[in-house]
Amino acid sequence: MTNAVTNIVVELMPHFEGYVYPNEATPQPLWSILIVLYPYITGLVAGAFIMASLVRVFRVKALEPVYRLSMLTAFAFLLCAPLPLLFHLGHPERCLEVMMTPHLTSPMAIFGFVYAWYLMAVLLLELWFDYRRDLVAWAEQTSGFKGMLYRLFTVGVTDVSEPALKLDAKIGQFLSVVGIPSAFLLHGYVGFIFGSVKANPWWGNVLMPIIFIMSAMVSGIALCVFNYMVLSWIRRRSIDMKCLDVMGMFLFYALVMDAAIEGLDWIHRVYSAEEGFKIMEYMAKEKLFYTLNLGQALMGTLVPLLLLGSLQIRALRQRAPEWLRRRLYFIGSVLILIGVLAMRWNVVIGGQFFSKSLRGVMSYKMEFAGLEGWFMGGLMLALPFIILTVLIKLFLSEKLPSAGHYEPASLKP
Amino acid sequence: MPKMPPQVVRLVLLTIGIVGSYLIARYFLTPASFNEYGHYRGAALMEIASHPVVFAGKKSCEDCHFDEFERLGRFEHKTLSCEGCHGAGQAHTENPDIRLAILNFSHCARCHEANPSRPSWHKQIDLRDHYAGEACTECHVAHAPSQVPESPEAP
Repeated sequence: MTNAVTNIVVELMPHFEGYVYPNEATPQPLWSILIVLYPYITGLVAGAFIMASLVRVFRVKALEPVYRLSMLTAFAFLLCAPLPLLFHLGHPERCLEVMMTPHLTSPMAIFGFVYAWYLMAVLLLELWFDYRRDLVAWAEQTSGFKGMLYRLFTVGVTDVSEPALKLDAKIGQFLSVVGIPSAFLLHGYVGFIFGSVKANPWWGNVLMPIIFIMSAMVSGIALCVFNYMVLSWIRRRSIDMKCLDVMGMFLFYALVMDAAIEGLDWIHRVYSAEEGFKIMEYMAKEKLFYTLNLGQALMGTLVPLLLLGSLQIRALRQRAPEWLRRRLYFIGSVLILIGVLAMRWNVVIGGQFFSKSLRGVMSYKMEFAGLEGWFMGGLMLALPFIILTVLIKLFLSEKLPSAGHYEPASLKP
Repeated sequence: MPKMPPQVVRLVLLTIGIVGSYLIARYFLTPASFNEYGHYRGAALMEIASHPVVFAGKKSCEDCHFDEFERLGRFEHKTLSCEGCHGAGQAHTENPDIRLAILNFSHCARCHEANPSRPSWHKQIDLRDHYAGEACTECHVAHAPSQVPESPEAP
C-alpha cells in the first residue's frame, strides 16, 4: 500500500515547489529543447546573412574572403530552421498543410510566410545571382552528377557577358539591401512570438524582438568566425588575418550592443519591479543560475567582451602575435555560440519554469533519447553543419576555380 | 522595346512555374469542405460526431442504479459525474455484463491528495501520513462522504 501510494504521489505531483496550477504540473514543459533550437538556428541564419551583407551593402572589403561562406552558412541553417518546429509538432506528414491552407491571422502561422519570403525571395536569389558566372563555368568544366547539378542550377541561362554580369551585380546588390530588413524581420518575428505573450512576465516585453535580433547578429557573426577558422584548418590554408581582425571587430561591437540592450532590459525589470519580479529574481538566483549567470552573462558575454575587447586596443592588437589572436577569436566565438544557446534556453525554458500564479516553480530534467532529448537536440544542431559541408564541397570547392564575387567598375566605391 | 535580359526572363518563368504549380497543388490538395464554417474542414464536425459514443452520461446510470443515485444526490459528491470515477460507461449500459471497475483508492487521491493550488475548503490529505491501510473505502463511503461504512466493501 505504501509503495502504491508513493508512486501515485510522484505521478500526481511532478517536480515543483510552491503554488502551481494543476495544468502546469506536467512532467516536462510543453516547449522544450526543440523549441530552444528553433530560435537559435533562425538567429544564426539572420546573423550570418547580416555578416555577408557587410560585404555587399556596406562594402567592407576586408570581409570578402568570408562572403560566400557566410551566405552558404545562412542557407544551410535556414534549410534546417523549420525542422525543430516540424518535429516538435509530431506530425511531419502534415507539413504541406500549412502551405495548402495558409492562415493569415495567426502569428504562429505567419512564420510560413516569413520563412518562404526569406528563403525564396532573398537568400536563394542572392546566392544565384552571385554564383551565376561560376555556375556557367563549372557546368562546362565538370561532368557526371556534379556537372548535371551545376547545369541544373544555371536554369539554362549561359549568358555571362559583361552587361549580363553587371545586371547580376545590380540585382544582387538590391537583394542584399532588401535582405537586411528581411533578416531583421525573420528574427524579429521570433522575438515577437515570445514578446507578445502578455501573460508571461518573462516573455511579454517590447524589447524582446530587438534583443533577439541583436543576439542573432552576435551568434551569426560568431558562427562565421568559427566556420571560417575550422574550414581553413581543415583545408590547411592560412587564415587571412585582416579579415579575421575585422570579423572580430564587428563581433565585438555587435556584442557590446547586445549586452547593452540585454542589460537595459534587466535594469528596467529590476527598477520597475512589477508583480512578476519576485519570481524572476528567484529564477535568476536559483532555477536558471547556471545557464543565466554563468552561461549567458559570464561565459557568453563578459569573457568574450574581455577577449575581443582587448584586441580592439591597437597597441595590444599589434603586440599580440597572430597565433594568440587566432586563439582569442576562436575561443571568443565558441563562447558566444554557447552563450547565445544558453540565452535561448533561458528564454524558452525559463518562461515555463514558473507558475502563472507567480508563486511556484516547476523543474525539468531533460531526457537523453526521445523526441525532445539530448540526442535529438545534438542531431538537430549537427544537421546544418552536414548540409553546409555538402554545400562547401559543391560551391566552395578548391578543385574548381572561382571567378569570385563579381563587382563591376560602376558599383565600386 | 528593350529586350529583357535572359536571366530575368528565366526567373520570371521559374516564378510563374513555381506559383502555378503551387496553385494547382492547392486546388487539388485543399480539402473540399475547408473554410465552410471557419479555418478548418467543415466535414471534420461530422467525422467527430460520428465517432462511437463512449460515455453514457449520468442520466443513464439513474435508470438502473436509482438507490445509489438518490443517495449520491444527498451528499457532498452530488455534483460529480458517475463516470468521472467509474470510467466510461456506454458499453456497460448496452451490455450490463461488461462491468465497470469497483474503485476504492486511486480515484479518491486524484482529488483529495494535498495540493497547494486547491482551495482550502476542499478536503485534502497527505496520503503517506493519512492512513497506511488497504483502501479509502475502509473508512469512507464515496457516495456519502460524511457517513461511516457499514461494511468495508460498501461503495
